[in-house]
Amino acid sequence: MTGPRVVIAEDTAILREGLAQLLADRGFEVRATVGDGDALLAAVAEHRPDVTVVDVRMPPTFTDEGLRAAITLRREYPGTAVLMFSQYVETRYAARLLAGGAAGVGYLLKDRVADVAEFSSALARVAAGGTALDPEVVSQMVGTSPRAASVSGLTRREREVLSMMAEGRSNAAIAAGLVVSPGAVEKHVASIFAKLGLPPSESDNRRVLAVLHYLRSS
Amino acid sequence: MDLMYPARHPARDARGAAARAQDGVRVRAAARAVLRAPLARRSWAEAAYLTVGVPLTVAGFLLILMTAVFGAVLCASLTGVAAGLALLTATTVAGRGLAAVHRRLAAALPGWPPPLPGPAPFVPGRGLLGRVDARLRDGPGWRGACYVLLRLPLALASLYAVAGFWVLGLYYLTYPVWWSIAQAAAGPRPAESPVSTPLPAGGVRIATWPGALGISLLGVVVLLAAPWAVRAVVLADRWLIRRLLTGRPLSERVRELQASRAQAVDDTAALLRRVERDLHDGAQARLVAVAMQLGLAREKLAADGPDGGASGGTADPDRLDQARELVDAAHRGAKEALTELRDLARGIHPPALDHGLAEALATLAARSAVPATLTADVPVRPTPAIETIAYFCAAELLANVAKHSGADRAAIGVTTDGAALRLSVTDDGAGGAVLRPGGGLAGLAQRVAVVDGTLAVSSPDGGPTVVTVDLPLHA
Repeated sequence: MTGPRVVIAEDTAILREGLAQLLADRGFEVRATVGDGDALLAAVAEHRPDVTVVDVRMPPTFTDEGLRAAITLRREYPGTAVLMFSQYVETRYAARLLAGGAAGVGYLLKDRVADVAEFSSALARVAAGGTALDPEVVSQMVGTSPRAASVSGLTRREREVLSMMAEGRSNAAIAAGLVVSPGAVEKHVASIFAKLGLPPSESDNRRVLAVLHYLRSS
Repeated sequence: MDLMYPARHPARDARGAAARAQDGVRVRAAARAVLRAPLARRSWAEAAYLTVGVPLTVAGFLLILMTAVFGAVLCASLTGVAAGLALLTATTVAGRGLAAVHRRLAAALPGWPPPLPGPAPFVPGRGLLGRVDARLRDGPGWRGACYVLLRLPLALASLYAVAGFWVLGLYYLTYPVWWSIAQAAAGPRPAESPVSTPLPAGGVRIATWPGALGISLLGVVVLLAAPWAVRAVVLADRWLIRRLLTGRPLSERVRELQASRAQAVDDTAALLRRVERDLHDGAQARLVAVAMQLGLAREKLAADGPDGGASGGTADPDRLDQARELVDAAHRGAKEALTELRDLARGIHPPALDHGLAEALATLAARSAVPATLTADVPVRPTPAIETIAYFCAAELLANVAKHSGADRAAIGVTTDGAALRLSVTDDGAGGAVLRPGGGLAGLAQRVAVVDGTLAVSSPDGGPTVVTVDLPLHA
């Protein structure tokens, strides 16, 4: 069984090669590594990967080529998941990236590759259509914005649960992280859905909607 | 009191004596200077300077006068405007050239402080018209022409000082020789030789040897006075040079300083941006790679542990534990370094600024501890330096709101109006903020002042607080 097919777009050679090696080591099938946005689009057209890892800042302008390429990818290849990978967390970037939906989208700080297991599981999650947002993105967009909380009337604990949902964690992982029972987490999740006015449907979709709703309101 | 007198008098006497001695030294020094002046190198150099200046001035005067007058007349005649403009252009070119020659001569003069640096080099305009226009409006060129014209009376004074004092003085000094020659030539009947003086003193006629010797003595006096007459003319010339050839008008200097300051501010902004990029592409990327490798190493070590992998038997468990701790610490350190480096880079140049002030301020508002709204209307992008200053002002003002105001909400507003950018940060906190010397707001005001910006605080007790920062669009 082969792992998810990956295309890596990162302009710094040392990081590009290291990342390719690490992912290959973890069972991913690295199809191509490229150094800029145009090459990324070409590589995706050729290899049709399950997921791409995209650096935000790449040549020629070193501002947001990666983000723009990622948005194009989301539009033209909806089946290809995108993990944005950046030295910085810009909430505006996250908002633009998530504008088309949160399924198959990730936005992580580059630092996160230091925790190899977590990084590769986040990438696998995104490849499978899940979401992975950096805790920093979430805390910027959710945690520090009391206004959003007051709008929707979430409690502190509910906000914590929502933050972890935004990071893409499962109920079991959230329960472990907060040191509460899975039942308690389910209760919080249900309460969040109710307060955000999300009708019952497939629960995965609702989780994503809850996160999106939150991010947009802040 | 009585006890103090004996002590005070000798001290006062000593002071008086010292002053008197000092006066004496000064008088003797002055007398020596006067007596030695005619033989001093400086005096001769000044005389030579004035002498060389006479033909130069006369030639320059004629050149400037002709080009300027003919140029003006041709321009007025309308039919010869082109030729007239060419002549006027030539006037300023000649003015600059002659000014440079005079300044160089003046700089070579010993005993005088070197003149201040000359005007900035001529900056030609683009195209023929631009070039002519720049020449016609070349202030230093016209001032040089003025100098040459005004130097004509100085040239006459030079002639008078050099010929009337130096040449005549030497003639007087050697008068007995000329007198005896004249006597010998006149034959047995002694003639009366006329003597002219530098100052009109009536017709003096000398008929006797003692009289001739007296004239010789007069020559000594005239020669003693000569260096000072020459120096007076040089002094006037220095004054003209200072006014016209070196000391640029203050307004011009201010313009230059403004331009160079704007350049410095822009250069600094560009430099900081480059530093941030170098950090991003260099140190940060490498450190990420190192952290990643340490993360891999950490996992491998965990898997290789005594209770982990199959190779556990080959390694000493204690040393494996030590290695694990070391790698753990290195891994933690690398991650912390990454966080610090990111904060540092953000402080140097926030990457969001690459997309303009509005975008960067939106990021700032999103991150603000006190909920903040942003109203941005910036149709014209200011220069990067101004954007950076505005961004850091907003960041610090928001931090102030969070720290001191106790406000529930804040509002950032940024608008442009003509050539100005106005940033305002409003909060609904307790108010009472003041622009205190040495305080944070005063520091901000100083930073804003670097580009001629201003910062105003309105913060009545009970709020609301409004801090308004006005910046030019260009440094």
